[in-house]
Amino acid sequence: MTEYFLHIAIISALHIILALSLNLIIGYCGQVSLGHAAFYGLGAYTSALAAIHWQASFFLTLPLAGVVAALFGLGLGIPTLRLRDDYLAIVTLGFGIIVDLILLNLEVTGGPDGLVRIPPPQLAGVDFRNKFMYLLLVALVVAFTLGLIYRLVHSRHGRALKAIRDHEMTARVMGINAAAYKISIFTLAAGLAGLAGALYAHYITFINPESFGLHTSILVLTMVVLGGMGSILGSVVGAGVLTILPELFRRFADYQDLAYGAMLIALLIWRPQGLLGTGKISQKFSLAKNRAKKGN
Amino acid sequence: MLLQQILNGLTAGSVYALIALGYTMIYGILGLINFAQGEIYMAGAFATVLLLSAYKVNFFVAFLFGMGVAAVLGLILERLAFRPLRGSHPLVPLISAIGASIFLQSLALLLFGPADRAFPLQFEFAALDIAGVTVSTLQVAIFVTALFFMALLVVFVKYTKFGKAIMATALDQDTARLMGINVDRMIALTFLIGSALSGAAGIMMAIYYNTTYPRMGLLPGLKAFSAAVLGGVGNIPGAIVGGLLLGVAENLGAGYLSSGYKDAVAFAILIIVLLVRPKGLLGGRGH
Repeated sequence: MTEYFLHIAIISALHIILALSLNLIIGYCGQVSLGHAAFYGLGAYTSALAAIHWQASFFLTLPLAGVVAALFGLGLGIPTLRLRDDYLAIVTLGFGIIVDLILLNLEVTGGPDGLVRIPPPQLAGVDFRNKFMYLLLVALVVAFTLGLIYRLVHSRHGRALKAIRDHEMTARVMGINAAAYKISIFTLAAGLAGLAGALYAHYITFINPESFGLHTSILVLTMVVLGGMGSILGSVVGAGVLTILPELFRRFADYQDLAYGAMLIALLIWRPQGLLGTGKISQKFSLAKNRAKKGN
Repeated sequence: MLLQQILNGLTAGSVYALIALGYTMIYGILGLINFAQGEIYMAGAFATVLLLSAYKVNFFVAFLFGMGVAAVLGLILERLAFRPLRGSHPLVPLISAIGASIFLQSLALLLFGPADRAFPLQFEFAALDIAGVTVSTLQVAIFVTALFFMALLVVFVKYTKFGKAIMATALDQDTARLMGINVDRMIALTFLIGSALSGAAGIMMAIYYNTTYPRMGLLPGLKAFSAAVLGGVGNIPGAIVGGLLLGVAENLGAGYLSSGYKDAVAFAILIIVLLVRPKGLLGGRGH
């Protein structure tokens, strides 16, 4: 039983990294990525392949996974983020489909069967096959992510990002390079998702493209919206809730996507700030709604 | 060979153009990408296939029924997922549309199962031989039908009162309202028309590929969006040109490069257009 709880805790922690990084894109760029699972998958495959073919240490493949995912993020961000708000969603959706296609068709990625026997991390005397030790490792990366995002959001750059989010035109007039900021944030978020992917691959030890499809992207998106767009703590809570709930309602597994879809719409209509959000995205919404109620 | 690929491309392209029209019209009037467009396409195909396999009805009745179901679904969507969110941060309706898309897709999966369904009617299509190129009458029928719908739409938008009201609403909602146009009704009408066209596209593809399944809307939806961007988002002739060009490019890519990357061609075009000419070939209202 302890093993099971530890497993849930590890998966929750991975989801927290994913939700936090997606929340950066949503809450601080005002954009949606539907390819977050693709970056997660890129990280997982990068790290697994490096470990299998080069016997590289996990502590080298982990940053490598982050860098590779970030580079793909940069490649997608440059053509897309300089443009209109909603292009990123559809471009990342397409990117997710292409990554899925490539993972399924390449020989080196093992096609639909994926990769097996991915070695667990090794570090002088510590056995990471022990779930508790692995949880500690994941918790370390979660702490790193949380710290990084917290510091970022509360820095000069964080204030610039908020300015862009709240009023891009004004921010640009003040000399803030909005496009560069958005591209950097998107790249960072993709890299963080890559880190989560590497942690996942070496924990589960076998991966296939199924784990990194649209379903996962939507799951992470629902976590962010449920927790509250733009709220750091919200993403942590949202990820926790949406990891534990499906475990409790295993019998209704077939209805998962249906529930996520309905939940997204319902939340946005009745509680756009999610559980804990306070961001401008929801504020603007309530302002508009109040105006509508007054018969404007 | 070249001519053959171009003709095949025009068939698929005319269908992409129909879906792209839906994207472009809704974008033009709401400034919003309706992510669920592909699912409306799927719903139209399913409605026709299910009706034809359950009852012995005339094909044209079933075709209109499919378009009708798609149109009603579009209206419901507008009412439930978009109207309550109007005036909010653009991110909000976008996520809502994504929610609607995933909801409809999984609903179809639960109701109809994951299996492919063949089209219940068998048509007798002849293969025509024109200057060494074989074209089936089915391809001709699809192309002609799609062109017919496009012409109908262009005439509607240009020459009828409702069409002009839609254009006015797309240009400036507040001014349109001052002129006595019921903006809510025009937005609903746009969803109705765009969805009906997507439904028709779905039915034609269900016949062409002889398969109907819950996720059938995903790729055509993405490709039609690329087509809309290629032509210029918000631009009606642009969507038609973009759709046809995309269909041809995709088939040429499949024929001359590798058939495995056929689906990637549309995506590559989307990225290139965004990099080189983001307002599209004919100039959209996106920027």
